[in-house]
Amino acid sequence: MSGLSPAVQAAVEAIEAGPSGPQVGAFFDLDGTLVAGYTAATFYGDRLRKGEVSAGEFVRTVITAVDGEVLGGDPTRVADVAFAALRGVSEETFADLGERLFLQKIAGTIRAEARALVRAHQRMGHTVAVASAATSYQIAPVARDLGIEHLVCTRLEVEDGVLTGRPVGAMLWGRHKASGTRAFAKEHDVSLEDSYAYGNGYEDVAFLSSVGHPVALNPHRGLRVAAQRLGWTVLDLRDPLTPSLAALGRTVAALGAMNTGAGAGLAVGLLTRDGRRGRNTAISLGSTLALTLTGVELAVLNADHLWSHRPAVFVVNHQSALDVLVMGSLLKEDFTVVAKKEARFDPRAMLGSVLIAPAFVDRSDSAQARAALDALVERIRGGTSLLIFPEGTRSVTPVLGPFRKGAFHLAVQCGVPIVPVVLRNTGELMWRRSKVVHPGVVDVCVLEPETDWTADNMNDKVAALHSRFAETLANWPEEDAG
Amino acid sequence: MTDDQQATDLERWTAAAAWSRRPALDPLETMTWRSERHPSRSGTSCTVIMLDREPDWERFREAHEWGTSLVRRLRQRVLDPAVPTTSPVWVDDHHFALDYHLRRRPVGGSGSMDDVLEVARQVALRPFDRSRPLWEGMLLTGLDGGGAAYVLKIHHALADSAGTVQLLSLLQSATRRHTPDKPVLPADEEQPATDTVQLARDGLRDNLVAAPRLAAQGLRAAASASLRPQTVLAETLRYAASVRRLAASLPAPPSPLLADRDGRSWRFLALSCPLADLQAAGRIGGGSLHDAFVAAFAGGLQRYHAAHGVSLEEISIRLRVSLDRAEDPMSGVRFAGAMIAAPAGIEDPADRIAAVRGEVLSLHTERALDAVRAVAPGIASLPSGVGAAVLGVGVAADASASTVQGPPRATYMAGAKVLGMYPFGSLPGVAMAATLLAHADLACIGVNVDELAVRDPEVLRTSLQDGLDEVAALGR
Repeated sequence: MSGLSPAVQAAVEAIEAGPSGPQVGAFFDLDGTLVAGYTAATFYGDRLRKGEVSAGEFVRTVITAVDGEVLGGDPTRVADVAFAALRGVSEETFADLGERLFLQKIAGTIRAEARALVRAHQRMGHTVAVASAATSYQIAPVARDLGIEHLVCTRLEVEDGVLTGRPVGAMLWGRHKASGTRAFAKEHDVSLEDSYAYGNGYEDVAFLSSVGHPVALNPHRGLRVAAQRLGWTVLDLRDPLTPSLAALGRTVAALGAMNTGAGAGLAVGLLTRDGRRGRNTAISLGSTLALTLTGVELAVLNADHLWSHRPAVFVVNHQSALDVLVMGSLLKEDFTVVAKKEARFDPRAMLGSVLIAPAFVDRSDSAQARAALDALVERIRGGTSLLIFPEGTRSVTPVLGPFRKGAFHLAVQCGVPIVPVVLRNTGELMWRRSKVVHPGVVDVCVLEPETDWTADNMNDKVAALHSRFAETLANWPEEDAG
Repeated sequence: MTDDQQATDLERWTAAAAWSRRPALDPLETMTWRSERHPSRSGTSCTVIMLDREPDWERFREAHEWGTSLVRRLRQRVLDPAVPTTSPVWVDDHHFALDYHLRRRPVGGSGSMDDVLEVARQVALRPFDRSRPLWEGMLLTGLDGGGAAYVLKIHHALADSAGTVQLLSLLQSATRRHTPDKPVLPADEEQPATDTVQLARDGLRDNLVAAPRLAAQGLRAAASASLRPQTVLAETLRYAASVRRLAASLPAPPSPLLADRDGRSWRFLALSCPLADLQAAGRIGGGSLHDAFVAAFAGGLQRYHAAHGVSLEEISIRLRVSLDRAEDPMSGVRFAGAMIAAPAGIEDPADRIAAVRGEVLSLHTERALDAVRAVAPGIASLPSGVGAAVLGVGVAADASASTVQGPPRATYMAGAKVLGMYPFGSLPGVAMAATLLAHADLACIGVNVDELAVRDPEVLRTSLQDGLDEVAALGR
């Protein structure tokens, strides 16, 4: 699970061994290539759920889709039906919908290894573009998340801020995507012969054949046959995990185990009349059991840094509810977290509350907040470490959010070091919006602890730390480096 | 003459002797043979070979005497069983008379290339005597400048255009001088039955013997299909969808200008350009020689339409696609015909070549690309009228384009140097058929035009030559 498959690793190395610079293009198809599945289906499903699809439109859509996809008719006509249904919708509303669906669904379908390919091209300074028959409303949030600036895509006609239900020119499908790509290359001085293109559909052959390095990515059957016949690279990326019954069962079992572990730990505490020892046993036992049962293993680099500086403030990037479990099983004892007051009554947090006695902060009451934080400072000085996620919230994708300063202020106030911990793929095993944990390996890299934080150097140091996180995520250190 | 050249000639002639020794017609050939309707669905192709001088007639005739004894097929005729219980077979024609098949006459007119093409067209439009060996050659003398031309008509059951060219390349010499001690055919081999009733009876017997095995095979297939009905249904649907995409609809709107046609009145045009330029243009567009040729052809058709006030964005062109790994039709063995929408409206020739390439390569995703091959055994056993009707099902492209590899170096026929070889195919539903033959350093293009569809062939010739020149200029 961790890192890239050997084939993808080889592809990345081949990119890095090739020419660099903006004259090399890298064109990525969207649906089925960068993301698993069809974004248009997500949009359509949303409209269906909201009752925005009339019976007539539904029947038309099904008939044209079946005709185009199964019976050998024109596969682009279903898009015409879909576009026509957008007539009269304000462009802003539709763009907002795109953003919302990205956060809710589409972000979780971006393939981690496709992201690695995009990054490899970006590191080489190539001109990276999404080339897709989808509309910009589907693509833009994905492209932004991947740091891709250029879109070669179907444009919808807008009059006075309202969609007319017609595309501008041809839909960028099949030959039109190929000619769109060639036009883009001409306009941006991109050498097609040196360029790369990635696509998955049988309609992508013309698009792929316009460049010197075509790659059939998770290709459909027709494209796979063609790619083999034409001697093109075929690359199969792993898909984002979708909840399986087995994974669900394991997750339920893990919740039970967490409670069992916690109960056992508390029993130990009661028996030995040592609350702290009981809590520590509970945390360690509970989180380790839970990870074992869900089939999650940890691959930790520089584990000794976890113990060399205690108490400390542990700063961790945040993608998943799994992060807390992972950190619990790593830190094992004598740590706590800051939680907002509302979480006190969250049933999932209650168990944790008993175990690690979080500092609950009431954001609406600054006096209470200050008092709670003062108490926290005392606890840290007394030997309890603090685990904090400086992004504040879980990100929907592995892209690092900005850091808030709270954690660093606390560290300065308490005079304790910062221990940065980078988690690579917890979001893949348990996506932000998922309630199910998938088995796999979580990559953990503990960076060098930093001790000399002052109020004066904080801004610079936070910025530097943020780039170290980003750098570590982009170029994961080798096993033997630790 | 060097020893090297002599060695290559001997090698080629040995290969010619081994050329196509199958006793029976394969299903595709059988289908062509049985459902032929001359001239609109004829299986005839015609090659015009331009020679720098008049070859000595006796030597020319003797070369044919020798060549037809070397390549046994040229002295064989097709024997069809009395009832179609089996494939037709090749049998030696005991009445073979070279003078029936090989003739000579002055070209007439002013002795120009156009006069040659006019004679070639008359030769091509005459149907074959199907009871004789399926080729006819005519040496045309009296060309202006002292040259001559050889018109070779050959039936598809004997060889398709690529096969004809291959055969011609094998038989032509690399030197002007006469080669004594040429190889000759080994002793006669066993002949299949020479009686149509006997052949039918043998076929019936073989079928009866094979029937239980075929029935068992069918039952096994049906049983295994019933175990996984969804997979079978899905496979069938996918195949049917592919057939529909390939055969049931034109990839581009039909040209209004070429709509009237019946394939009965032919007109031959010959064009040429430097081969290296066209090849270089193909590379610049990221494609092959064939892609460059189709792009040039489409560009020419756009010009022709523009000259008639019709704007042409794309046009359906039928071409040969390799069924093997190779993407270039000149370097494969198995082929299928398929249509593409050729991007006539793209102005930039390099961009047009890239677009053609994209269209051609896209065909490789179609699982039904080899459909004709797959159904050929079935159609071949149908009565000829039904077979012809089945073949006529589906839509026909406006034009067809194919590319064949000719001899890579200069060749000679009985001491006369070959200046160019122009192939002309038949017109099965298309308004014109263009064939490029790569010969030494020249791209020779023969275009067979339906005169009913193209009322002013001179404008077409100019337009096509301009399209060719434009693409060739890209590679210069």
